[in-house]
Amino acid sequence: MGANYDAIVIGGGHNGLTCAAYLAKAGRKILVLERRHVLGGAAVTEEIYPGYHYSTCSYVVSLLRPKIIRDLDLPSHGLEIMPLEQSFQPLHDGRGLVRWSDWEKTRRELARLSPRDAEIYPEFGRTMVQMARFVKPILDMVPPDPGSLDPRGLSDLLRLGKRFQNLGPDLQAVKYRMLTMSAVDFLDGWFESDSLKAVMSVSGIIGTFLGIRSPGTAYVLLHHYMGEIDGAFRSWGLSKGGTGGISLAIASAARSYGAEIRTESPVQKVLLKNGSSEGVVLESGEEIRARVVVSGTDPRLTLLGFVGEENLDDETVSALKNFKMRGSSGKVNLALDRIPDFTCRPGVGPHLFGDIAIAPSIEYLERAYDQAKYGDFSERPYLNIVIPSLTDPTVAPPGKHVMSIFVQYAPYHIKEGPEYWPKKREAFGDAVIDTLSEYCPGIKEAILHRHVLTPWDLEQEYGLTEGNIFHGELSLDQLFFLRPSPKMARFRTPIENLWMCASGSHPGGGIMGAPGMLAARELLRTRTV
Amino acid sequence: MSYDTIVIGAGHNGLTAAGLLARGGRRVLVVERRGEVGGLASSTEFNPGYRTAGILHDTTGVRASVIKDLDLEKHGLRRRSEPVPVFLPERKGTGLLLHRDPSKAAPEINSFSARDADRYAKYQAFHSRLGRFLLPLLNGPSPPVAGNDRSDFWGMIKAGMNMRRLGRKEMIEFLRLAPMPLRDWMEESFETPLLQSALAAPGLSASLLGPWSPGTATGLMMYEAVRGAGIQGGAPALVRALLAACESRGVEVRLNESVSRIRLRAGVVVGVTLAGGEELDGSMVASSCDPRTTFLDLMTPRDLPLDLERGMQNFKARGNVAKVHLALTGPLAFACRPDLEPENIRIGESLVSLEKAFDCVKYGEMPVEPCLDVAVPSLSDPSLAPDGGHVVSILVYAVPPTGTLEWTDARREELGDLVVSRLASYAPELRDRIVGREVLTPLDLEREYGLNGGHLYHGEQGLDQVLFMRPVPTCAQYSTPLEGLWLCGSGSHPGGGITCGPGMIAAAAILNS
Amino acid sequence: MPLQTPFHPRTSELCTSLLWKEWAGYHAVCSYDTVNDREYIAFRHAAGLIDVTPLMKYEVTGKDAPSFLARVMVRNIEKLRVGRVTYCCWCDDRGKVLDDGTITRWSEEHFRVTSNSPALQWLQRCARGFEVAIHESTDRIGVLALQGPASRTILAAAAEAEIEGLRFFRATTGMVAGKPVEITRTGYTGDLGFEVWTANENALPVYDAIMKAGKIHGIEPCGLDAMDVTRIEAGFVLHGVDYFSARTCMIESQKSTPFEIGLDWAVQLKRESFVGQAAILAEQDRGVARRLVGLELDWDDLERVFEESGLPPEVPRHAWRDPLPVYRDGRQVGQATSGAWSSILKKNLALATVNKGWSEKGTELMIETTVDFERKKMKAVVVPKPFFDPERKRT
Repeated sequence: MGANYDAIVIGGGHNGLTCAAYLAKAGRKILVLERRHVLGGAAVTEEIYPGYHYSTCSYVVSLLRPKIIRDLDLPSHGLEIMPLEQSFQPLHDGRGLVRWSDWEKTRRELARLSPRDAEIYPEFGRTMVQMARFVKPILDMVPPDPGSLDPRGLSDLLRLGKRFQNLGPDLQAVKYRMLTMSAVDFLDGWFESDSLKAVMSVSGIIGTFLGIRSPGTAYVLLHHYMGEIDGAFRSWGLSKGGTGGISLAIASAARSYGAEIRTESPVQKVLLKNGSSEGVVLESGEEIRARVVVSGTDPRLTLLGFVGEENLDDETVSALKNFKMRGSSGKVNLALDRIPDFTCRPGVGPHLFGDIAIAPSIEYLERAYDQAKYGDFSERPYLNIVIPSLTDPTVAPPGKHVMSIFVQYAPYHIKEGPEYWPKKREAFGDAVIDTLSEYCPGIKEAILHRHVLTPWDLEQEYGLTEGNIFHGELSLDQLFFLRPSPKMARFRTPIENLWMCASGSHPGGGIMGAPGMLAARELLRTRTV
Repeated sequence: MSYDTIVIGAGHNGLTAAGLLARGGRRVLVVERRGEVGGLASSTEFNPGYRTAGILHDTTGVRASVIKDLDLEKHGLRRRSEPVPVFLPERKGTGLLLHRDPSKAAPEINSFSARDADRYAKYQAFHSRLGRFLLPLLNGPSPPVAGNDRSDFWGMIKAGMNMRRLGRKEMIEFLRLAPMPLRDWMEESFETPLLQSALAAPGLSASLLGPWSPGTATGLMMYEAVRGAGIQGGAPALVRALLAACESRGVEVRLNESVSRIRLRAGVVVGVTLAGGEELDGSMVASSCDPRTTFLDLMTPRDLPLDLERGMQNFKARGNVAKVHLALTGPLAFACRPDLEPENIRIGESLVSLEKAFDCVKYGEMPVEPCLDVAVPSLSDPSLAPDGGHVVSILVYAVPPTGTLEWTDARREELGDLVVSRLASYAPELRDRIVGREVLTPLDLEREYGLNGGHLYHGEQGLDQVLFMRPVPTCAQYSTPLEGLWLCGSGSHPGGGITCGPGMIAAAAILNS
Repeated sequence: MPLQTPFHPRTSELCTSLLWKEWAGYHAVCSYDTVNDREYIAFRHAAGLIDVTPLMKYEVTGKDAPSFLARVMVRNIEKLRVGRVTYCCWCDDRGKVLDDGTITRWSEEHFRVTSNSPALQWLQRCARGFEVAIHESTDRIGVLALQGPASRTILAAAAEAEIEGLRFFRATTGMVAGKPVEITRTGYTGDLGFEVWTANENALPVYDAIMKAGKIHGIEPCGLDAMDVTRIEAGFVLHGVDYFSARTCMIESQKSTPFEIGLDWAVQLKRESFVGQAAILAEQDRGVARRLVGLELDWDDLERVFEESGLPPEVPRHAWRDPLPVYRDGRQVGQATSGAWSSILKKNLALATVNKGWSEKGTELMIETTVDFERKKMKAVVVPKPFFDPERKRT
């Protein structure tokens, strides 16, 4: 039987949809299969409590590639991103720090902690922007295979090397330090204020099972500065109507190019013939054939789940098992009757319109990590909070609010075993609320509804293996041509005609869309589809 | 007095550099602050009749080419024929005597896990293949890849091409492992906790990191790449031979003289000033002190370029190792294997225990269960102790660095008691045999050996402070931005430990200039 | 929101135009009236009073303060005598300018440094090994600049201090309205002028007393716009306009050396080491790659370019600071970074940075201009700075 489709995309997350949209735009016949009743994967908006629209999992847009926005003309499909600029950090001692988009104002805020840091802060930003300039082309390239003598890969590597050379001695050293140092050690070289270093370093650990003192975490500090050079100024933001709005816009673009999207169509397995993919079998038993199957799920689910260990060689199996996917974070969504006062800065002011970080000191964060290392959730975790209803009143009834709380650490592998998580779910939620109420005492009374997601829930409900929000840790040994393994780094798998297009591939997780775009580009370039 | 080169510090690196410079025809003076040569490798009497075998007791990294070029064997140096096995005691069970040679190790490992015995052979083979690629890197100057005006693109390409010689599979394995935490590597490789911990521990000794920290795998690979069998009689024997070699080539060594300032005129080094006020002239000064001491203490602040100063302020040298010496009336015997008299012992039951030892350090807390790297040097050199007696040399990992904890006398004794009771929990007769004890905290090490931060390797060796980054890119080729001032100590590539590597490569760089 | 200077109650009342801008985190008046002619004329013919409080100020004290500042600054501050002021710049290790400002020696061990951008961190960084204390006093001291031919008469009337005998770049102390003040004979207009420094709490009486004394002499409150014209006439470079601090530059070519911005006269090279010395020496050997020069735009050519479009000639109504390319033989050889019409000299002036070889006096260059949306080039000649240099400035 011939192929019904040119390509089937498994999973209607933002990467799967992006890949589908690009392929459909190139004139291919595409089918997207989504297991759940809603599209978006982890970039989803759900009305779990009537009238309140939670961005259930992912909650801010930071790195969505502007090229995708332009190529797919997403604004005409309903994408609207509202800036989320300031960052508010309540401290233990009743003080608070807000970093505003107005630099003089930020300087005065910082000067209260340290006049020296206040002066250095913009200089640091400029250096980071220079670093980000270097990284940007890496995000846009298919990783070369350093082991092969393929001239294309070699010339890519040479270009990167040349680019590195052009940075000049000072920036080369900074670059190298960023790759190898911990966020704290790196920031120690710039700043003296412990709380400033703490709040800046957290961007280095989001979604990883590392602490802010773990080498390699400095690199991720860059992500905060990527937006500046993307031609998508102020790209750090909230999507109107919740994060799901992004997925819906991409889906709408894909449909406009002719892609077919089916929800509530869980894939059971990839249909194999002589070690090559022929299509998929749905849980309903339906077989659908296609020239190529592109998986928008994580590498382990794709291969160990949909293909099966028995159909894979040992090297692939061990590479997949060694691929670290240890989920480390959870999520708490709240429906609020009102916004209670933060002790250090009462009232609903502009400081609440950005993100709110509970990361008061380096030791606080490090102790949170230590608990997680040995199999407990952090009793006093790092929280990253946004109140999207302040910027976008459509997500809650008038005068009411939703609060989105990202929580780290919540290790998937708790010492009782991950399947014990449901029994700990409420205790985990309580720890989060208790932590928050130390800075925002009235929070408990304002809660109308609470929705707690543990790493176990992220796996069971959203199909994220081990609850890893990035489909695999973003650590140096799992990036670029090592993501998810050297053999699978170029969106291909050992199974012919089975490809991957999501966060488990280069350049990784976050609502970036880059893996989806690059996979589509590579599929088209090689005329695989 | 005027010399071609003045070497500051007569540790093993200072002596190596001095000897090799004299061999190259230079008129060399070595100035040493302490009353004896050897630095961290020197033997001191810590209890009447009992002498240490140096602060650092591992001599397996000593470079063969130094021994050859300085004719050290002619000056009495003897190499061991095979590496000393490491004993890993257990509270229950028989412990594990771990030989480097997989065939010798197999029967011991087999009793824990047959799979691990098999994997151990593969693991050692991997290290020796990797060594072929890493050794040239660790026996010569680091390729100037980044951060230096001289960094050249082709140097980088060459380094990359060298790596390709490993072969595709091995190269990718190297690239994957290098940034990894040791814990992940060890857990992928072995299932026996004792083995995991014993193999991982040396990779952690040089940095303020635990096995959970990414990049620690590289530390272990570099350690394994240069490992030889070691020196008969340990570090003091090496120092004796180095001194003899230096003296035979006319190197002058002045003891009990400390340099107070490196003198510059118009940005160019012209000599040093001694603490007593005496001025010595030399067109070159090679400092084997740690980089922070060299630049921050021995130079007038006004002479030091600000970029270099910032580099030094940011150079991390947070010493997290303490040293304990015990004087025993009898052998160090372990309950789990009473018949064995091991020369090297490691206490650290699992990777978790290594990580927990590191956790305390982060918060400036006293360790609860430190990991111990124990040697009994009197087994191979009985002259260190009276008849029948033994010296136990213990490196204690990890203790809080000086900046994070105030090291008082009481804390020093507390640490000593802790180490003794930890060791005694495996060697119950230990307490009754102790007749003397010396405890050196990071603060003591800083004061006695002039180590800024008390770091035994003159600076941490995380990935950000090795190769072309050590100590800072502009000084990574042993020369410094100050004309005539060179570095030749452990703060330079290839780093710390009793290896003579930095002294050797620095001397070659100076002679080439 | 920007802060208010201690003079804000007065300046805000007088500023009928509501033309303000942000200056280093403070509200500052651009011009009190919608046109700044009156203020400019006051600076040059009577006296103008301008609030320059936002200028950053650092108090450097201690035994090693002279040698410390000698290390930081390109000028040998150890030689600066008590009661004197000097102007210079300071550089990073690579001899690239970080900022410029005045340094006043109030006593053996007390100096005040002013700067355009925050400098505390840099000063502290250079202070290792020196017995000095550095404190920022920007928000504790209000500063008024009284500039113009009548300034001496006015200040002599307002202040109990030795004003008549206060020579150029000297400092003294005294009282105004019974409040202690510090007075320096300095300014940014290139004219006879003074700067009056006072604690915030005394700011208003001091302001009132000077205005009162100046009334019969034609004193005018002045804003930044008028001062910008005068500083161009005086040939003074402006940080952030004519050159950029090495700390804020993204790339090397955006940075400048003291020679490049025309501060050769402020650099004292042959002495104990100071920050950037080696690099500046090397630059001296190598030759300076570009120079900041004064340009006088050719009037006839200006008429020509306007005539081509059928328009009467126009001169800029304000000092401008949008950079314009400068050409020679059709190739770009530099850029003009600010300029103004000098109504006292009746000349169209600009400050420009041009490559080596094109900085000699009399060199003819072409500067870009836009007439009726069309890009044109017109003739400009390199002339010596300052453009305007009255004798009274120094006497």
